[in-house]
Amino acid sequence: MTKRKIIYSLFLISGVLLISACSDNKEYETAICALADISGTYAKEKKSMVKIIKAGIVPKLVPGDSLILMSIDSNSFNEENIKGKLKLDYRPSQANQQKLKFAQTLNDFADNESSAKYTDISGAMMLCSSHLKSTNAGTQIMFIFSDMKEELKPGIKRSFNNDEFENMDIVAMNVIKLNEDSANPQVFRSRIKKWKKRILKHSAKSWNSSLDPTEISDYIDEKR
Amino acid sequence: MSSFYIWPDMPFLSIAVLVAASMIFLYLARTPLHLALDSLDEGIAGGLKKIADWIKSVVLKMQEKNRKVLLESNIAESEQKIAQEFKRVEASYTKHLADYPALHLKLDENITSVDADFKECGQVVPEAPGWNDAVESIASIKGSASGDRVIEKMLKELHKSAIDGEKSAIAEMQKISSKRHKILSSMAPVWKKIQKAMNEVDTKVSLVLETSGKIEKYMQEYEKVRKGGEDTIDMLSSKATKLFIFSIIVITVAGFGAFVNFQLIALPMSELVPAGTRVLGMHVSDISALVIVTLEVVLGIFLMEALGVTNIFPQIAGLTLGKRRMLLYAAVLGIFFLASVEAALAILREHITATNAATTQALAGSVSTTAGIEGSKITVIGQATLGFTLPWILAMVAVPLEMLIESSQHVLSKLIILVIKLAGYLVGIISHLLNTLMKTIIHIYDAYIIIPTQIGNLIKSKS
Repeated sequence: MTKRKIIYSLFLISGVLLISACSDNKEYETAICALADISGTYAKEKKSMVKIIKAGIVPKLVPGDSLILMSIDSNSFNEENIKGKLKLDYRPSQANQQKLKFAQTLNDFADNESSAKYTDISGAMMLCSSHLKSTNAGTQIMFIFSDMKEELKPGIKRSFNNDEFENMDIVAMNVIKLNEDSANPQVFRSRIKKWKKRILKHSAKSWNSSLDPTEISDYIDEKR
Repeated sequence: MSSFYIWPDMPFLSIAVLVAASMIFLYLARTPLHLALDSLDEGIAGGLKKIADWIKSVVLKMQEKNRKVLLESNIAESEQKIAQEFKRVEASYTKHLADYPALHLKLDENITSVDADFKECGQVVPEAPGWNDAVESIASIKGSASGDRVIEKMLKELHKSAIDGEKSAIAEMQKISSKRHKILSSMAPVWKKIQKAMNEVDTKVSLVLETSGKIEKYMQEYEKVRKGGEDTIDMLSSKATKLFIFSIIVITVAGFGAFVNFQLIALPMSELVPAGTRVLGMHVSDISALVIVTLEVVLGIFLMEALGVTNIFPQIAGLTLGKRRMLLYAAVLGIFFLASVEAALAILREHITATNAATTQALAGSVSTTAGIEGSKITVIGQATLGFTLPWILAMVAVPLEMLIESSQHVLSKLIILVIKLAGYLVGIISHLLNTLMKTIIHIYDAYIIIPTQIGNLIKSKS
């Protein structure tokens, strides 16, 4: 083997090693989906929801991360329920501008007084799940702002796939107690328990229903 | 266990029979079993002993090699020092003694001037007018004492003229003396000049002698190293270890400096090199920042090489002075460029941090205090200064790096020798233990068959 051939081979090996060492950023990125319930009594919580998202979730996003805002209404498995999408640029200055722009989208959403009669949480979760999966992000988190009481419109059927929430951390945020919950806490507890069982059964990485809004930042850091 | 019993109902008897049978068997098989155990002992313990001996010889060879390397490297270092010192002497001669002829000429001129002044200063006493002889002659004329009026008048006139002449002679002498004094006083600065010139000569000669003295010192060291005595080896080894420890400390500190430098420019680099790709889990922007920091160190190495402080690349050391100067300028310019880039990045970093803080505040709904942040110039100035200074400090890392590379050869060899030595001792101990174990087994074996042995001895003695 001539000296030249050895040098070429070394260059080739180095190139292959370098290419194989290169990896996509996706596995280090975080994709977050925020589901906002706008049905029934929970519609009044819109402003506080938006406040939590703006103060707790958006500032924690770093360049490359993404955030999707979806509403939970009578038929949530619908692209129209996507109220806003944010994919942060890798340049910090651009990312900051995008955050501020998205804050305006959130404000518009909070100002919109539309509400729904039924609560299709499962549909929203399915839509959110497919969007999170499409991001291929290493960390996928789903925040559900709802009272977690599902009321499906007649004729609507929802069933999760076995791997529906694979690799996802799901958090039920700001779960307010309904009158019937206050009258009998067991109703609330069994409802949350059912959700936990159902979500974990469909491959979710974790479930949390007692996260304080002030702990969102730490929670995201922990999951990253 | 019971399955071994010959008579399961009588375990004691079965055991006794088994023991007796084994004793007879072992007695009869004593010679081959002893041989087998001896062979095993020789095989294992002897083999291990040989390994230990081999390790010892390897250690000795390595120690000798290490000694040679240490001596050779120090001889080379001494030679280099002496060569450098010779260059310095040459430079010193050129620098200090180059203007010596001019100085000498100046000194000569001054001395000539002083000599001329001195000659001019030679005091000549003005002669008194020759009236005395005339007076004496007239005084001896007959009738001078008889009160001849003519002679008396003449004498009076002569007396008066003599007094006038004396007065004018004294005045003349005073005038000349004053002139001489003036000349002498004008000689003082010239003397001072001569003294100054002599001092200059003394200083320059001392400097040259001092440089020459260093060569003598290095030559003594060189001779000592060449002899390579045990004391010298110990001294060199201790010196290398000391250098290794110091360089490790300095390199560690420099490593922290590099980390701070990296942190300073990593964030703003993400603004300049935005990319969704990672290499070995690192952002491309982070790698770019790392490249900048590494480049600073590399340029620092070239700078130190060009200055002749380090001698890592012999090719650079062999360059002509002009080329080395070019390399020096290139390295200085390169570091200056990178330092300026870093200063700019540090300012950008502060701007990004301030914007991030303002965005977070705006998202949280609180009043933005960007005015306050922008107003604080101290942080920006501090970061920019740090960004500009750190590359220069990092450039100095070439010196301890060279020290580390040089001393690590010896220190690492010493460590390896120590580890191999330990392994040798361990193998020796195991060999000794196995040897003892085999001997103990043979003794226990003999003790076990003592009854048949004694019976056998008895029968032999009777027959």
